[in-house]
Amino acid sequence: MPRKKTKIIIFSLLILLGVVLLTYGAFFHSTNVLPEQENGSTTLARSEPALVKEVSVGGVKRDESGKIKQTYTGKAPEACPT
Amino acid sequence: MSQARLSKHTPAKHPKPALPEAVENQTMAPMVEKTKLSNLASKLLGWRMWVQSAFLLVWLDPLGLRLHTICSPVFHCYACPLSTFACPIGVIAQFGALHIFPFMAVGLLIAVGALFGSLICGWVCPFGFLQDLGAKAPTPKFDPPKWAGYLRYAVLIGTVLAVPYFFGEEHPLFICRVCPAGALEAAVPNMAGQAIAGQQIAWPNTVKLTILGLFLIAIFFMKRPWCRILCPLGAIFSLFNRVSAFFLRFNADKCTDCKQCHKLCEYGIEPEKRPNDLRCNRCLECIRCGPGALTLGSIFEETQTHKSTFENPERKS
Repeated sequence: MPRKKTKIIIFSLLILLGVVLLTYGAFFHSTNVLPEQENGSTTLARSEPALVKEVSVGGVKRDESGKIKQTYTGKAPEACPT
Repeated sequence: MSQARLSKHTPAKHPKPALPEAVENQTMAPMVEKTKLSNLASKLLGWRMWVQSAFLLVWLDPLGLRLHTICSPVFHCYACPLSTFACPIGVIAQFGALHIFPFMAVGLLIAVGALFGSLICGWVCPFGFLQDLGAKAPTPKFDPPKWAGYLRYAVLIGTVLAVPYFFGEEHPLFICRVCPAGALEAAVPNMAGQAIAGQQIAWPNTVKLTILGLFLIAIFFMKRPWCRILCPLGAIFSLFNRVSAFFLRFNADKCTDCKQCHKLCEYGIEPEKRPNDLRCNRCLECIRCGPGALTLGSIFEETQTHKSTFENPERKS
């Protein structure tokens, strides 16, 4: 019985952790992305779901200065270049 | 079932060896009755391919939804023209290259892993299904050495976490640049589309094509070569096998040491020793064993679990 209890506790903690991370990522986490043509314009805050979509088509890259930059202007690429 | 096969499972003809006291106490507990879950699993077992096919309809985007803001819990390239969701491994690697923590992808994998563990690999993953279909070919099958299963963790740590973080996505060992799923599901259809449209074909790199070629050969001569040796997603889910809500339960009381489960297991695991082994992808073939010593269990079952052994301590290797 203690073994089962331990399993239930571990399972509950993992589910809780997963849901917290998922919720935080989906609703609260965002990243600043620079436009491709950097002309001093303001950065755009992209939510994590939007960023997931961007990385799935190779739409953002990290430049040498460590900033996240969009790889296109206008229409997004259709598929990941890799 | 033939008489010979039946007799093989008769305890009287194959008396169990003496067990240590702790195990004896466990085996003296009442037998585990078949639960609703294990009954369902037994019934579904013959339909596993159909279950996998049904899930294929979810992953292959028949409605053209392209929900690429969400990760799926399976290995399916997001560059595939027919992918509903984003690949969690691709997202983790790409986020690593951007030095951003992928909260959604990690959260999803933890939650799904905690619930199902490797059951996802055996019943849901489209890339696993493809390999299952390849294994149907009447060709001789070879087993990789046991240690090869640990290569998955090297792939996970190396090509999904370390290489993207330290070298970025341009590195030739970045997971998406060597992934056979990406080559098969994305590069091949895209190349075909380009050829049909009369456009210039964008060939993937040589390493990726070589890996795809090797993979396509290997699936006919080894059961689930990618899953067993290299899959980083399987490596993640396998870590949950011992704590997931659904698990493989071994009942020492019913075991007759017939070793039938060894023959049933397609992955060279000895299920009665380690029912929730890291290498297990929970195809559940072993629950076909005659004496019924292996069943699918869950932590939600109220009465039965305490009467059984989760793992047989005497047999642990």
